[in-house]
Amino acid sequence: MQWIKLPYRRAGIMALMLSASIAWADDRPNIVIILADDMGYADMGSFGGEIDTPNLDALAAEGVRFTQFYTHASCSPTRSVMLSGVDTHLNGLGNMSEWTAPNQKGVPGYEGYLNDSVVTLPQLLLRGGYHTYMTGKWHLGKAPDKIPRARGFERDFSLLDGGGNYWDMKNVTALTPRLVFTEDGQYLSELPEGYYATRTYTDKMIDFIEANRGDDNPFFAYVAHQAPHDPYHLPKEWRERHVGEYDKGWDSFRRERLNRQIELGITKKGTALAERMWFIPDPTQLAPAPRAVLGMKMELYAGMVENMDHHVGRLVNYLKSIGEYDNTIFLVFGDNGAEGTDLFEMIAGTPGTLNYLNAAINWSNTDPKAWGEPGSFIGYGPMWAQVSMTPFSQYKGWLAEGGIRNALIVSGPVVGRPDGSINDAVMHIVDIMPTLLDVAGTEYPTHLNGSELPPITGKSWLPLLAGEADTIRSGQDYLAWELFGNRALRQGDWKLRWQWKPFGTGDWELYNLATDPSERSNLADQAPDKVAALRILWEQYVAENNVIIPSRSIFETLEKQLPKRVPDDPGYPPLINKRQFVPPPEMVKEST
Amino acid sequence: MKFSLSMQSILAMAVILMLALPQSVSAQVPARFYWKNLVGGNAVPVVYMDMSGNANPLDPAQFVVPESSFEATVALGGYAKTFTLFDRSALVAALLPVGRISGGASLFGRDFTESTNGFGDPTLEFVINVLGPPAIKNIPQAMRYEPGFSLDLLVDLIVPVGEYDDDQLLNMGQNRWYGRVAAPIVWQIGSWVPGRRTTLEFLPSVWLFDDNDDFLGHNLSTDPKFQVEAHLTRDFHKDLWGSIDVNWMGGGKSSLDGIDGDDLDMVGVGFTLGYHVNENFQLTAGYLASVSDDDPTDLQVDVFKVSLVFGWHPLVEGMKRLGGE
Repeated sequence: MQWIKLPYRRAGIMALMLSASIAWADDRPNIVIILADDMGYADMGSFGGEIDTPNLDALAAEGVRFTQFYTHASCSPTRSVMLSGVDTHLNGLGNMSEWTAPNQKGVPGYEGYLNDSVVTLPQLLLRGGYHTYMTGKWHLGKAPDKIPRARGFERDFSLLDGGGNYWDMKNVTALTPRLVFTEDGQYLSELPEGYYATRTYTDKMIDFIEANRGDDNPFFAYVAHQAPHDPYHLPKEWRERHVGEYDKGWDSFRRERLNRQIELGITKKGTALAERMWFIPDPTQLAPAPRAVLGMKMELYAGMVENMDHHVGRLVNYLKSIGEYDNTIFLVFGDNGAEGTDLFEMIAGTPGTLNYLNAAINWSNTDPKAWGEPGSFIGYGPMWAQVSMTPFSQYKGWLAEGGIRNALIVSGPVVGRPDGSINDAVMHIVDIMPTLLDVAGTEYPTHLNGSELPPITGKSWLPLLAGEADTIRSGQDYLAWELFGNRALRQGDWKLRWQWKPFGTGDWELYNLATDPSERSNLADQAPDKVAALRILWEQYVAENNVIIPSRSIFETLEKQLPKRVPDDPGYPPLINKRQFVPPPEMVKEST
Repeated sequence: MKFSLSMQSILAMAVILMLALPQSVSAQVPARFYWKNLVGGNAVPVVYMDMSGNANPLDPAQFVVPESSFEATVALGGYAKTFTLFDRSALVAALLPVGRISGGASLFGRDFTESTNGFGDPTLEFVINVLGPPAIKNIPQAMRYEPGFSLDLLVDLIVPVGEYDDDQLLNMGQNRWYGRVAAPIVWQIGSWVPGRRTTLEFLPSVWLFDDNDDFLGHNLSTDPKFQVEAHLTRDFHKDLWGSIDVNWMGGGKSSLDGIDGDDLDMVGVGFTLGYHVNENFQLTAGYLASVSDDDPTDLQVDVFKVSLVFGWHPLVEGMKRLGGE
């Protein structure tokens, strides 16, 4: 991702800050980032979800919600940009380490971890006088010089992998059967007693803050929750809060969420839902049993989000109890679109493989009564991912809005807008670095250890948060993405998109997000000039950001796996949608 | 990306539950007998029992004849159906014992060495759940069923139409009406995941007897008998479970022409193993023996039992047919 107009370049006068901490007579605000893994745009109550998220909603009620906040389409690219302020193709996450293509191997910018060419946000904040703490998922490198402690976090309790068991160190893949954790720069041989990811991450963060309380330095707390990423592991009392509520199926919930979004002002009146993807059944045509089985998965997901909300509430309450809440900025968002791909099937679904064997031993707790327990692996599938991403199209991994648009809440002393307000400015994960450096009064340096740093290209949100501006980008600025070979670019209301078939057409598509946020109408044929103009920007982005289109992709065989794409015309075919004919009662008689 | 409805697992869940249908009523029923299942289900149980003791094993009054020895080989066949009543799960069943019984005893100054065979008294049973989950009316509810703490009301009526010879001590029929009122209790302990289910189950009951006015030409009357059956059950595997069984009986004093006998006071212990053969068949085998039988007047009981239940539900069978099974 990159801005080509008015790139955010801070003067290099603060390079010295890299070598010396500054002693502040400190009333600078604390910063808390709550990053929810795979949480959907429409899951929080404050964004239209029916899921009970009172603590997150309370932050929204005291702060501001942003409706056009973009991340990347998957987790480690998003995290790399957030922590470096630099495009993925430069910072080492040009592709996820799990999917590095042959033509990307060995190329700087595609290392699969946050590379050494960038300086990190916690490094700069630490040297700017902040305490820097991290708990949760890292996913940006495992080697000693790549772990959170080495990248600027003063204290950490971190899962270095991309996901896995919430109760122990079991991983899903056979050749990496053990999750890797670090605590304060040391690799853990075992997890603390009573470990449960969401709770422990919260406990540890509270411990970190408590340990340095009273030294008057502000803190940067990065709580990178594993939740609600699959597998949906959660304590039993959290599994049974919505029994049967989701049996009515995904279409109803998409409609209800959209209606609430319109009532809340999150989404414009008249917005249409994105297509129900062609391979997802119409829930009204499903028998109760499969609807219930699929509904149970969403029950678990809702429990995951609610459990996370509960622990966010614990952190908030702790900060209130020590008098720090009023001087703390909260940023809450998800790292990408909701997960619609069956990760477990992808890894372990082939009999005769090592991963299948590993799953048979460690991940075969498959009875629905056991869902949520250790050894179970449940994700909720594409139908519920579409609910999580209401009203948008598609989900994680893709560059439709459903893959990259996220709910964002910002609260705290930097917010000058009315409590609970909503803003539609186009924002991006790359903005977090300049914004938080502004908050901390710290500058982005030009050099690190004698090497020139890549420029950060985001925009500080401070004027927007203060209510001094309604947007941070001009009509000429653009955002661009590439991941797994999928490509997209947004300028103003226009979005250019290329995606693998059958999610895309294998060609450039054009959408007007002002009138069609659900990306239903491909306007490429009607507006070839606009396509051409945006493609020029795209080529510029590729050239300036070291973009290498991968020679292999996670999606390369998808077209052969899925049924032929067809439109989702409601009520088609009438053969199975017609209802019983009921004749007028006065014309009914028994046969003689 | 693969979309699977996992119909096979849905079928299996539904039928596993359905196979908890009755297997015996007049004899001690095995553990897990009163688990609930998808209403509308049917079952045909066949129970084979090999019994011995000092009372007619077919007579629940357990009229003890000291120094006697009886043996019986009995099969029970029947039919049961579940349904909904007042939104609660209910069951009706009918069972008919057939077989043979033999033994020797001294009574009224006569020595009996007898054997008989044929049809016994049929049992009619009605059970309705009172406390616990509502009736399981569809597969989603069956999938979510957990008994928690479940209490039923049970009524048995045994109809005296079995073969009876008033000149014989031993008969397949009992020549009197009798029955019981009981309150089956299932108490779930821990999770309800197949392979890990644990229950504590009780069946307190009161048996009530009409008189047999032609018992070898005498009048046999029996006071109400109290019985508590208890089972601690545990899955060993999703298809295999076992239970430790304890059976206590008290009261039930029998009188012959007004001359009172003794109250029963028997404790029996045993075990049961259950195996879920497939979607239609459930097999159990067990043994129970009295342990409080030192005195000749104490009730002595010894029962081997094997049961096979064929269960089916129209909905599930239809789904299986579509699945090509």
